[in-house]
This record gives sequence, C-alpha cells and structure tokens, in this order.
Amino acid sequence: MTVTSTAASPEAARFEVSLELIGLNRRFGSVIALDSLTFSVPPGEVFGFLGPNGAGKTTTMRAIFGVVALESGEVRWRGEPVTEEDRHRFGYMPEERGLYPGMQILEQLEYLGRLHDMTAAAARDAARNWIKRLGLEGRESAKLEALSHGNQQRVQLAAALMHDPELLVLDEPFAGLDPGGVDDMTEILAERARAGVTVLFSSHQLDLVEHICEAVAIIHRGRVVAQGAVADLERGDRPRLDVRVAGDAAGDWARQLDPGVASVERADSGMVLLTLAPDADSQKVLDAARAAGAVEHFSFASRRLSEVFRDVTGEDA
Amino acid sequence: MNKRWIRLTAIVAEREIRQRGRSRAFMVSTIVLLLVVAAGVTIPAILAHSAKPQRVGIVGGQLAAMTEIVREAGHLTGTGVTVVPQPSLASAEAALRSGRLDVVLADDSEVVVKQVSVTGSSGSGGGLASAIADVAGLSKLLGHLPPGAADRGVTLPVRGLSPPSASLSRRLTGLFTVVLVWILISAYGSQIAMGVGEEKSNRIVEVILASVRPIQLLVGKVTGIGILALAQAALMVAAFLGLGAAVGSSLVHGAAPGIVITGAVFLILGYAFYCTAYAAAGSLVSRQSDVGAVILPVQVPLIIAYALSYTVIYADGANVFYRVLGFLPPTAPIAMPVLYAAGDVPGWQAAISAVLVAAGTVWMARTAATIYGRSILRTGSRVRLRQVLARGEAA
Repeated sequence: MTVTSTAASPEAARFEVSLELIGLNRRFGSVIALDSLTFSVPPGEVFGFLGPNGAGKTTTMRAIFGVVALESGEVRWRGEPVTEEDRHRFGYMPEERGLYPGMQILEQLEYLGRLHDMTAAAARDAARNWIKRLGLEGRESAKLEALSHGNQQRVQLAAALMHDPELLVLDEPFAGLDPGGVDDMTEILAERARAGVTVLFSSHQLDLVEHICEAVAIIHRGRVVAQGAVADLERGDRPRLDVRVAGDAAGDWARQLDPGVASVERADSGMVLLTLAPDADSQKVLDAARAAGAVEHFSFASRRLSEVFRDVTGEDA
Repeated sequence: MNKRWIRLTAIVAEREIRQRGRSRAFMVSTIVLLLVVAAGVTIPAILAHSAKPQRVGIVGGQLAAMTEIVREAGHLTGTGVTVVPQPSLASAEAALRSGRLDVVLADDSEVVVKQVSVTGSSGSGGGLASAIADVAGLSKLLGHLPPGAADRGVTLPVRGLSPPSASLSRRLTGLFTVVLVWILISAYGSQIAMGVGEEKSNRIVEVILASVRPIQLLVGKVTGIGILALAQAALMVAAFLGLGAAVGSSLVHGAAPGIVITGAVFLILGYAFYCTAYAAAGSLVSRQSDVGAVILPVQVPLIIAYALSYTVIYADGANVFYRVLGFLPPTAPIAMPVLYAAGDVPGWQAAISAVLVAAGTVWMARTAATIYGRSILRTGSRVRLRQVLARGEAA
C-alpha cells in the first residue's frame, strides 16, 4: 500500500521530546506491572518499546491513554501533563484488536473519527481516503466481519490514523502480519514519522523489529533496562570485534592479547569475539591477528537487541 | 460536564440509535408489539359491543316518560337498553345486587347503580347511568322551569349501593402501563447488557476508551437505546389511544391524563434505573453467553413487582407490602403506576416516589459507571462484583 504524507503538524519538529513517561507505578494485586518506569520519545522517529511478554508494555500504553489508572507518575505531552484534549489527537491501536464486526467499515471509521473531534464531514472524507489508500475501495458498505483477516487489520490501522494523530501508539502492530503486511506497516510507520508524528510501537520480538526503529526503550518487569538509539545499543558502550585467523580454530592467538587492549568473550570454530578495552585501538588487535596468520575476517561486531536484553537482565527476551 | 462531554456522549448515543434502529430485530419487535397492543385494545371492545343490552329498572313515576328518558340515554351512549318496570325501590335494589339489573332510575329523583366508580363516568353500565341521570334531570327540569333556565344543565344524583372504587378500566390502563414498563425494561435492558458484553468481548471498547471516558460510553449507550425504547413506547401508546378511541374501548376511558403522565414518568425513571444497572452487569462478563447469569439478580425486583401487580389490579385495594414496593426505587417503576391507576395512592405520594426513584437512579448510574469503568477492560473469567467495588482495585 502506498501512503502519501499529509503531515500532522509542522511545528511538531520543534519539540525535542514530545512524549515523556516519568516514574510510572502500577501494581495489580501482588504483581508489579510498572516499576518507576521512565523514558521519553522524540518526534519524527519510529520508536520501539520492546520487552518480553508481561514486561508492562500494554499497561504503559494504556496509561498513556488514561485507560489504566496510575498509582503514581506522570505522562507528559510536549512538556505539559497530558490532557483529555491532547488524547483526542493521539491514535491508538491496542494489542487486542477490536472493531464492531457487524458495522459497515465506512460508518465505523467515521464514528471513530468523530470520537476524535472530527466533524462528520471531515471524518467521512478521511474514512473514504483511508479506505482507498488501503485498497478497500468499493467495500465501504461491507461489514467488517465480511473482510479477510488481513483487511480487517488494515481497517484497524486506519482507525488509529483517521484523525491524523500527533502521537501514534501501536501495541504489537506486527503481531500476526504476513511478510507483506510487515513491510506495509513498516512503511506507514516510517512515513508517519517523517511527517513529524511521534511514533511509538511495542514488540516482544526484539530482533524482528530492530531494523525498523531508530531508537528504543527496552523494558523488563516494569522497568526500563536499556534505551537509546538502536545504533548505539548495538555497538554497546565498548566496541566489539569479530576476528577469524586461518588455521586457528580455538582462537589461541587472541588469548595472548594484553587485557589492556582487548579480552576474549568467546571463540567459536575459529571466529573470535573480542571486547576492546576502554580507549584501546582496534588496529593493535588487527596487528596481533596478522602476526598469528592470514586474517580471514575482521569486523566490528554489532549486538542484536536480544543480546542487549540478555546482557542487562541475564535472561532471554 | 462541558460541551465536549455532551457532544461525545451524543455521538455514542447516535450510533446506538442508527445501528439498532435499522436492525431487523427492532423492526420486527416494533411490529409485534403494535399487533399485541392492537389486539389487546380491539378484541375486548368487539366483545363488549356484542354483549347483551343493559337492563334498566324503573321505579315509580310515569312509565312512558321514564322509558323515553332511558331510551334517549341509551341512544346517546350507544348502548342497547331493556326497560324493566320494578314494583318498589327495595326490589329494584335487590335486582341490582343480584345482577339482574344494571341501572335503576327511581322516581325521577335519583339513579342507582351497584357501585359508583371514582371517576364517576365509567365502570359497568357507568356511562349509561350518568346519561340516564343527565337526560332524566334535564326532562325533570324542563317540566318545572321556564324555557332557557335549563341551559345550565342539571343531573340527578347517581347513588351506588356499595362504596366507590377505581373503575376496572382505570385498573386496566394501569395494567397496560405496567406491561409496557416491564416489556421495555426487560427487552432493552438485556439488549444493553448484551451490547456492553459484545463491546467487551470484541475489544472495540479499548479503542473507544482511548478517546471517551467509561461514563460517557455508558450514558451514551443507555440514552441512545432509551430514545429508541421511548419511541417504541410512544408508538404503542399512540396505537393504544388511537385504536381505543376508534373502537370505543372502555380501556381508553381509564386513560386519564394523570395516569398517562404517571406511567410516562415511571417508564423513563425505571428505564434509566434499570438500564444503567444492566450495563454494569454486562461489563462483568467477557463472553456474551454469560450475560444471562449476571443480569438475573438485576431482574429479580422487577419480576417481584410485576407479578404482584396483578393481585393489585384485580383486588380491592393494595396491601401494605405492595404499597411499600411503590416507594422503593427498584420496584417503584412498576408498582407505583399500578397503585396510582388503581386509585390506591394520591398524586402527591406518586410524586414523592418519583423523587425517590430519581435519586436512586443517580446513585445507580454512579455505581454502574464505577463498576463499568473498572471491569470493562478486565478480560478472562467473569469479574466479581466485590473485586471491582473494593477500593484501589481499579484496573
């Protein structure tokens, strides 16, 4: 599907941080869902909110919309505590998808648009536009339940985008999508972000979405355990190197390196993963490798986000 | 409650009206209810018209003149009359009590019936009795006074052998009100509970709650469906009055403005009281199939009041228990229209009851909104009422 930009708000870009979550706390019975959860999201980027199932992602997103009450903490929008009026300019696609199965899709989208302060006429126009863009033209008066699963998902996305929101919050938008659907969704998120919209989406599949987002917050048991630009997280605070020297399956050459230069993390059939010491020069490692034999592979290693998660929590995502 | 609050609530209400108003279920139920009303009004009227003529006893006076008066009164009221001369007032009264006579015109001086109705106009042979009283009074006056003096009209006194009570037709109008309140609350109440359960089970509610508060969704839903319910009720009342007047049904004679207004007030109050409760009940379940179990406790007071109403309608006066029900918010919407229509309570007591129900409705709406707001996003097993009402357990 092709989506042309309609630009949410040209001024959005002047806010460095648009959405801030500050010290959110919430428990359900004895379960702590959110534990002083804090992070912020800049406009104009696709921001991933990642963590395993049950980490508190859905509760956080519901808290942004005021659907879940907080024990303490604050949701701020453009520097001010979020208001009902702000929320009418947010778009939400909940994890549990749901629309009226027996309602015609045009009417349904129009209704949801009006609930976001659109006039009936504007909502109808927007609904028609989205139906067209999503390739559902001619099916305006079809009931939702008559559509295929994939098309129902498209209508659900349209419901979140109808009123051209300034903040788009999508809970597990990639769950249950086929590869084509993933590409379409990725394109729409990127396109919205380019238009200046603040885009926040969640996923429990860290590695599947790492190439989609520019920045992430990773949460575990209601706390943010890592956050920042994806490129920075993948590099880590200390660069790592993958090096292979011909004829040295055990990677013995690397174990003789000065700990002030680099230390071995693991060696796996000749490929050695090294972590550089602070301020160490990677070329010294290359020199040592060449001295040991023919260097077949030498590159900076990037960590996958699931490894970042494992490193900080000691658990698998 | 600002303008936006009202506008969003109205949008929710509008959707309910549109979606439900054009559904087949609504059309079919409207037609069926209209047919029931039509049958209920016309069949008794047709039977009444084919009933045997009224037997009128005459005591004393001039037989020919008095027979003429009775014939004229029968003509005026469209009732067939048979004149039966009686030897004495005592034997005429005995015949009245045994039912061999319906009305007695005595000595040009009074009209006697078995029982005078409270409204004084209807009841068995009531229309005829008052017409006889009018005509006989007029003719007596014309015999004694100069022409023109009778323009003010004069009526002989109508005496009842037993103490007056509300007429059966008044009671039947009360019954009509009760049946209407009962049908509308139970039909639309379960529709509301089902609708809420549906929104919860198909998860649309989370999308909507992102821009609308639970109380707005609740009020919008109950109002929208309520407007439909009232439109249907108004249609039925119109059919009742229109058809009743057309066929001359005695049911309609009882539809005094007071009874209609009381019925309408308690219909609206009862609807609001119960339907917010139904909505709260519907929010407790995750599957629509569980709705039946949660709305049963809501229905119980309604069922009790409804069942007991029949004893009041067909008995002479309500017992104390039923009078108490007339003032309790859950049962008053059914019990009070009956008590008022049967003439068992005066208007000011009905007004007090209405205020009590209104207060109960406000309380119920707030409680329902709390239950609704706290349980609508909890899925899985049925939510326990105790859980959602416990403090700090909101979810």
